[in-house]
Order: sequence, then C-alpha cells, then structure tokens
Amino acid sequence: MNKRILQAYRQAPWRVQLQWIGLFLLGLILAASIAGVYLSISGQAAAAGRNIQFIESDMAEINNEISELTADLAEARSTAKMLARAEALGYAMMDPDQAIYLSIPGFDPAADLVLAPPRINPINDRPVLRASYKSSLWDWFVKQFWNISEESTGIEREAVP
Amino acid sequence: MKTPFSARYSIVALVCLALGAAIMVQLVRINYTPFARDLILKSEDYQGVRKTVYPPRGTIYDRSGHILATNQVGYELGIDLKFVSDPESLAFAAASLLDDLDYGEIYQIASTEKQESENRYFVLSSYISKEKIIALEQLQETYAIRRQESRSTKPNLNGLVWTPMQQRTYPEGTLAANVLGFYNYFSRETAQGVYGVEEAYNRLLTGKPENVFMPNDPYQVEALPDINPGASLVLTIDREIQKMLEDTLREAIDWSGAEGGTIIVSDPETGEVLGMASTPFFDPNKYWEYEETFPGITPYNRAVGTAYEPGSVFKVITMAAALDSGVAEPTSTYNDATGVFWVDNSWPIYNWNGGAWGEQTMTGCMKYSLNVCLAHIAMDLLEEDLFYQYLQAFGFGRSTGIDLASEANFPLRLPDNNQWVSLDLATNSFGQGIAVTPIQMVAAISAVANDGRMMAPHVVRSVVDRGQQYNVTPQLVNAPISAEAAHEITQMLQVALEEEATTALVEGYSLAGKTGTGEIPTEFGYTSELTNTSFVGWGPTEDPKFVVYVWLEKPSISKWGSEVAAPVFRDVVEQLVVLMRIPPDNIRLSMNSKE
Repeated sequence: MNKRILQAYRQAPWRVQLQWIGLFLLGLILAASIAGVYLSISGQAAAAGRNIQFIESDMAEINNEISELTADLAEARSTAKMLARAEALGYAMMDPDQAIYLSIPGFDPAADLVLAPPRINPINDRPVLRASYKSSLWDWFVKQFWNISEESTGIEREAVP
Repeated sequence: MKTPFSARYSIVALVCLALGAAIMVQLVRINYTPFARDLILKSEDYQGVRKTVYPPRGTIYDRSGHILATNQVGYELGIDLKFVSDPESLAFAAASLLDDLDYGEIYQIASTEKQESENRYFVLSSYISKEKIIALEQLQETYAIRRQESRSTKPNLNGLVWTPMQQRTYPEGTLAANVLGFYNYFSRETAQGVYGVEEAYNRLLTGKPENVFMPNDPYQVEALPDINPGASLVLTIDREIQKMLEDTLREAIDWSGAEGGTIIVSDPETGEVLGMASTPFFDPNKYWEYEETFPGITPYNRAVGTAYEPGSVFKVITMAAALDSGVAEPTSTYNDATGVFWVDNSWPIYNWNGGAWGEQTMTGCMKYSLNVCLAHIAMDLLEEDLFYQYLQAFGFGRSTGIDLASEANFPLRLPDNNQWVSLDLATNSFGQGIAVTPIQMVAAISAVANDGRMMAPHVVRSVVDRGQQYNVTPQLVNAPISAEAAHEITQMLQVALEEEATTALVEGYSLAGKTGTGEIPTEFGYTSELTNTSFVGWGPTEDPKFVVYVWLEKPSISKWGSEVAAPVFRDVVEQLVVLMRIPPDNIRLSMNSKE
C-alpha cells in the first residue's frame, strides 16, 4: 500500500505541491478569518467607546440644561417675581387685620416636605431565634441522630458561624 | 541539486537579513535616545486628559420646597493657542465681553508663540454668563458669513473656547442670605461654603469629587464612575416668614434710626428656626462684594455672631429661676422703698427711671421692670450658686450648637473667676455685665414657652442624600425649669404685657413678653446714651407656637425697648399669625371645646 502511494507521488510531484499550496491557503484563510474577527470586534469596541464619549457629553449637557432650567424656575418663582406678577394681576398685599380664619377639615398646610423616600433601615433576614430553640425535643433528637450518622459516613457539614 | 543562481540567492538573502537586523537595531536605539523620551512624554499629552469631576453642589430648600440656593451654568472662557489663527479678531471679541481684560492684554496672550506647548491654554474668565456666550456665538456666525463672502480665512475666532461649568446661584437674592452664607465658586479647586449653612454643611453639600482619566483613544474609553451629587438640605426656614421679617426689619431700622438689628422667630416645641433676619443685607450672588457690605468686624449674622448685653429681657431668666427654685412666687412682694439697692454697701443699683416703686408683687416687678427688685432676688433669694446654676442650665456661657457657622459665645463670669465681684450678681440679674447672643436668648426663652423644656435651635429640617431623606429629630437640650414655673412666668408676663407694654399687643391673641433696654458699656462704664433695645415674646400663651426676638442696636428715635422694639414685635406677630395660620384665641378655644 505504502509503496503504491510513494510511487504515485514520484510519478506526479505536483500533488505534493498542491498539498503545500492547500496547507498554505488554509493557514491564510485562518489568519484572514482571525484578522476579520479581530477587526470587527475592535471596530465595535471603538464605536462603543465613541458612543460612551458622546453619551457622557450628552449627559453633561443635559445636566447643565437641568441646572439651567431649575435655576430659571427658582428665579421665576422667587418672592420678588411672584409679588410682581401678583401685583400685575391686580392683587394687593393683605392687611393682617382683615384676615378671617377659616377652619378646613383635612387641610394641613404644615405637612412635612417630602423630596425623597425616607431612609429605611436594612432588615436583617436572619431569624432572631435559632431553629434549635424552636424545635421540639423529638425534632432535636432526630436532627442529632442524622448529624451523627452523617459524621460517621464522612459527609461534610456546613460550618456554623 | 545546486543551480547557478544559488549563490546569488544566498547573497540577496544575506543582504535582506542584514537590512532587517539594522532596522531592528535602529528601532531599539531610537527608543532609548533622549529625544525618544521627550517624544514619549509629549505623546502622553495626547493620550487623554486627567480631570477632576465635581459633583453638582446640593440644593437648599426652604421648609415648603422653595429653592433658596441651587446651581446654574456659567462658562469658562479661554484661549487654546494650538488653534489661534486670527489673534486680532479673537482679542476684539473677547475684550467686548470681559470687563477686567482689555484688547491689548488678550491680544498679547493670543499672540504667544505656539511652540511653548506648556502654556497653550489660558483662562480669560472663570465664569461668564450664558447671555455673553450667546452673543459670542452670534459673532462667530457673523464672521463665518463674512469669510464666505470674502473667500478668506479671516476673521475667525479659532482658539477661543468656552466650557460650561456649574456656578452657585441664590434665586431669592438677599433673602435669608445671613442664614445661607455663600459659596465662593470662582476658584474651583479651593471653593467652599462660607458662613451659614453653606459652611456648616459644606462637606455634605459638596459631595465627593472624583479624579478621572479621560482617554482620547476610543478603545480605552470607559464609562465615568457614578458620581453622587452633593446632598440637598431642607431648612426649617419658611420663605414667607423670612421675607416678612426682613421687610419688617428694614422698615424698623429706617423708622428707628438703629445701626443694625435682628429678628428671630422660632418654634419653641421643636427648636426650629422659622425665620432669622439680620442686618446688613447681602446678595450672595455677588459674594465678592462681601468686604464692602461687612467692613471691619461687622458680623455676617448678628443673630448668632454677636454677643451683647441684653438688658431687661434677661429678667425673664432671673424670675424663672426664682419661681422654679421656690424662693419666690408670683404674689411674693418686694418693698422698693428707696428706689435703690446697695450691693455690699458700696455699689448702688437704681431703677430705669431712678424712682422708688413701693411695695410690688413679683408680677409688678416684671411689669415695671424694676432693677432693684431683680437685684434683690438674685442677691438675697437665689444667691450666687443657685443663680449661676440656673444660668448654666439655660445654656448661657456656651454655644447653642445651632447648625450655622461662626456662632459667637461669650463665657460666663462665674464666682470662681478672679474678676468676678458681687456687683456682677446684681447686674447680671437684669441683663447687665453679661453678654449673650440673640440665639442664646431665643433658646433659653423657648424653655419658658415650652413647659420648661429647652430644645436645640436648628435650621436644617431634612437632608436628602442618594435618593433618601433623613429627617432631623428635634433634640431636647435640658429642662432648666419645671412646667409649673414656666406657666407661672408666662402668666406674669402676659399680665405685664397687657397692662404695661400695650405697644406689643396684638388683638385677638394672648401673648407674653418682656421689653429690654441694655445700656452699652464704654471704657468709662455705662456712660453712653446709646442703648440696645430688645423685645422677647411668645404666644399664644396657652399653647405657644412661636417665640419672637427683636433686637435693634443703638436706635436714635428712642432709647427704650418698649418704644422701639415692642412695636416691631407687634408688627411681626400681626403678620406671623396669618402666615402660620394660627387662629385667634376665641376661634381656637371654640375649636378646642368642640374637640
């Protein structure tokens, strides 16, 4: 069998050359594929990087705009501006002597200002009492029995803190 | 098998190898030359920028949510020499916007040699307004049209750059400036809150700046770390009350000719300061004018920063001590036969008018503000140990701890002090020879108005940080007197007010209060005709909702507290009851009876 193959190559040496060319092309295709994948990924990374830069720039711009609008709103609602607007609308400052007190049930103008939810203390999920304090004598006995049997069979138990 | 070309191939291969090796050697050599090191250092400049990201400073609200301090956008204007190609036009444009730099100075900067790469960016102005930037953008557009028309590269503003930055703004202007303080934002690295809550809560408001590297290489770009904005504060101050106090104080100073003054309104039950007006008035938006508004040692906020001799308003403390300790009752009598009280047979104490008032109950002593009676109580009934124990229990001699910067405190001169003399005990009883701040007086009087419980005065109600609101719990400081003693002194001062200080009364409301006229000591003693006029009052007497303290310094219209400070108290309370929605006594009592 081997003799026949060697003879075939001797009679047609181009077969060896073809083999080499095939191998070279395979390597080339492999390298081109790797380079393609690398280029694609690095291109995407660069695009993502540029996107991050644009988004951060947008965020800074939006934050500045929010600040600007907040400041404008605060100024528009300032006492001096509100007073001027009220006077322009024909209102006048009330004489305290003319004030009439009306009691409106349910109206609480002094309610606390809430700008954010109040701070909540994290609740400890661990039970206050250990399970062993709540188990019956029989449960405790069964558990101890199983523990002993596990130890004797070499089963590792979790460490108890 | 050798071909005739083998030797030639070998020579070509050797030459190529030698060339390759030479290139490699040169590559290594270039990397280690001094020029290479400089080049590497310079290249770092182009890799990105390292900058400090400052979180936005926290907003300050009044108790109803009105903004008292926030941030707006200002612009830094600078010249980047790398891009300057028309320094004349650039200097012309920048000079038309800036007040403190002229054309020549800007032109000189814009014409600097570009080779000096270390100085390629110059800041012209740290904060300029948005309006000026809009004007600059319009000029830029005009120049672009001109360039198109003339098919030239000039005029242009290349190299003139503006960067948005946040700056502090106080939309209410002067309102509550003495409570807020200010933020000196011009120098960003060293900027900090100065005075008021801006200084007291500077760290909370500022947040934590982060130092970050921002690469130019998009492969290295990462999202900026999350930077939490500074915490926001909700004050106990009510904007409407504050405005009313400042307007009233302005009018009072104009009317009385006083050099300065302060008015404080607080809630005795919680210690919350609802309003605090103080002269001089100041616009924190122009904080650089600070030294013009506060020349010399002028305090930023008299209410917390100035100690003065309060005069007769202090008699409330002496009488409260006497009633609580049991050495006197409202009906106890004192016979002012001569109008003079001798201290150690050496120093005479006189009444405010120098007259003798005969036999008086304790209520009468307060009603007519008799110095001799109060000196008798301190010297003969309370005596030094008990008297000073009460003063310390009321918080005198130490700071109140109010959450405002620069609180002043004048130490008490106690009997164990070498400089103390028994005359001090007598004069201290009616508010002479003792220096207190208005906020100390408010805190002490709040104990009388709040069943004997003294609450810590404070101006911050809540802190909003990282999406959560932390409400400040009112703090009990001390209980210097019993509730019974507090009620007794309140009733005595209600009677005193109704019968003697009618200028302080407000129709429909039961009030208790005391006038004060404090002489101003000079280096020769109490020789000045000028006085400090004060008034402290609270109401409604059955369930006090407010304590009002008025101090007018050196009024020219009159030297008496009853004639200067008491009418101001009335003006304040008349408006305060409306703003606080406190019903008149008859309505309140009928509401209570229905309940």
